[in-house]
Amino acid sequence: MPTLELSGVTSGYGGRPVLHDVTIKAHEPAIYVVLGLNGAGKTTLFRTIAGILEPYSGEVLLDGEDLTRSREARKRINYLSHYNAIPEEMTVRDALDFYAKIEGGSVDEVLSLLNLEGLKDRKVSDLSQGQKKRVSVAKVFLRERDLYLLDEPTSNLDPAVSKEIRDILLRLAKDRIVLYSSHNLYEARDVGTNLVLVRDGRISYFGKISDVRAREYRVGIRTTADISGMIDAKLGEGGYYVLTVSTPEEAGLALRRLVQNGVLVTEMRELDNPLQDLFEGGDTS
Amino acid sequence: MSGGGGGQGAIIAKRGVSLSKTYAVIGILMALLAVLLSSASGLIGSASVTGAPTGSQGPDLSTALPLVSVALQVFAAILFSAPVLLLYVYDKNNGVLEYFLSLGMTQGDVYRQYLKAALMLSSVLVAFEAIANVTAGLIGGTAATSLVVSALVAVIALPVVAFDSLIMMSFSSLQKQRVGSNQPLGMAIGVFMVMPAYLVPLAVPSLALTVDLLLAAATAALASVAYLSASRLIGREKLLP
Repeated sequence: MPTLELSGVTSGYGGRPVLHDVTIKAHEPAIYVVLGLNGAGKTTLFRTIAGILEPYSGEVLLDGEDLTRSREARKRINYLSHYNAIPEEMTVRDALDFYAKIEGGSVDEVLSLLNLEGLKDRKVSDLSQGQKKRVSVAKVFLRERDLYLLDEPTSNLDPAVSKEIRDILLRLAKDRIVLYSSHNLYEARDVGTNLVLVRDGRISYFGKISDVRAREYRVGIRTTADISGMIDAKLGEGGYYVLTVSTPEEAGLALRRLVQNGVLVTEMRELDNPLQDLFEGGDTS
Repeated sequence: MSGGGGGQGAIIAKRGVSLSKTYAVIGILMALLAVLLSSASGLIGSASVTGAPTGSQGPDLSTALPLVSVALQVFAAILFSAPVLLLYVYDKNNGVLEYFLSLGMTQGDVYRQYLKAALMLSSVLVAFEAIANVTAGLIGGTAATSLVVSALVAVIALPVVAFDSLIMMSFSSLQKQRVGSNQPLGMAIGVFMVMPAYLVPLAVPSLALTVDLLLAAATAALASVAYLSASRLIGREKLLP
């Protein structure tokens, strides 16, 4: 199993640091969701891990090999930037073949994997933004690697293709490390098990998503009866009875009370995302 | 990397031409014009590229024209390789260079690929010019001159294209704004570099051959320095979009 380790990494552009003293160690195969506001330093973090940016100080190691200096170590990485990086004057097949000639891999397999067979003879420049993104993602899967760095891989993609890509990543993450940046907090919670929160160029949280708890969050309940007298919930947005709780156990107790009162609960869901607090500057306790 | 550098160079050359055919067409037309100019010396009189004046007032056109044609043919080769410069900027802006770096390439590897592509394209035109020169020489009775012209074009064009491509790639890497001035600037630098080869045959014909050979040697040295220093002085981050 690969181990990615950043110790005291300060990195940036033109001598101006963007990342400050970043230290993380990922040794568990998983999808690590990288969250942060625009300009927080997510892309700089990815470029530094990919060995594209040389850190001003500190080390980036993959299984003990320095990713900044070792060409061989960098070949164990797949990096998807938010630029498509696809030669647009080529057909889809030729564009993928262009990269396959450099890094190896089977073009036919990725065409099939990303459902691109129907587009293979079309010029990349003639494709929609979403289709271009699919081609861009396809090039990352030409070869299997130990570490995947994916900067917003599902932006511009329709929900069906996004799900397909997430499924591929979930399979890969069984024995690899996948760093996945996203602005979508719900997607982040669905796809990832671990969270890397970047704020002002520093890592403000690194740990399990399941450990992240909001101080309070709202739960929406749909029922066939008026439940406002049974629990402390009021009819609110979207026809839900809205209950504010601090822990999942509180929500469970409310559900048990309703069931004991013979109420048929047709739906129960969180209306807030615990990651929201964290993303907007709250703490993780 | 499973692909050879030469193979990538050929693909990049092909991509460059498919992205901008205008420079290729202008380059071919200029090459044909230059070959015609050179072969016109056969009509004027017995041609010599030794630079010896024939005794008349002013430049001896039968000597000067083939040498001026050398400079024009070199410039045609610069034009013909210009799409690679366009492609370099295009690939930088689209994140293709960033992707190359993520695959384990260094900035030197990236420069080398585009340099190979520029040299491949210019070699194709130099070969075309050589065939055209020899054909015109055989028809016009100036075969010996056409061989010398072809050799001079090859000796000067390849270093000039190498140097021009390297400094324009460096310039494009350092450019912060996405502006399309690198091809015209590349042309201007190319013209400036080849300028002695235009002027000396008309001004001091006896020195023309020597100046051409010195120009080739100096440019080859400059191209080597540019190649060695570019990958050291220009950081990887300068290749990012």
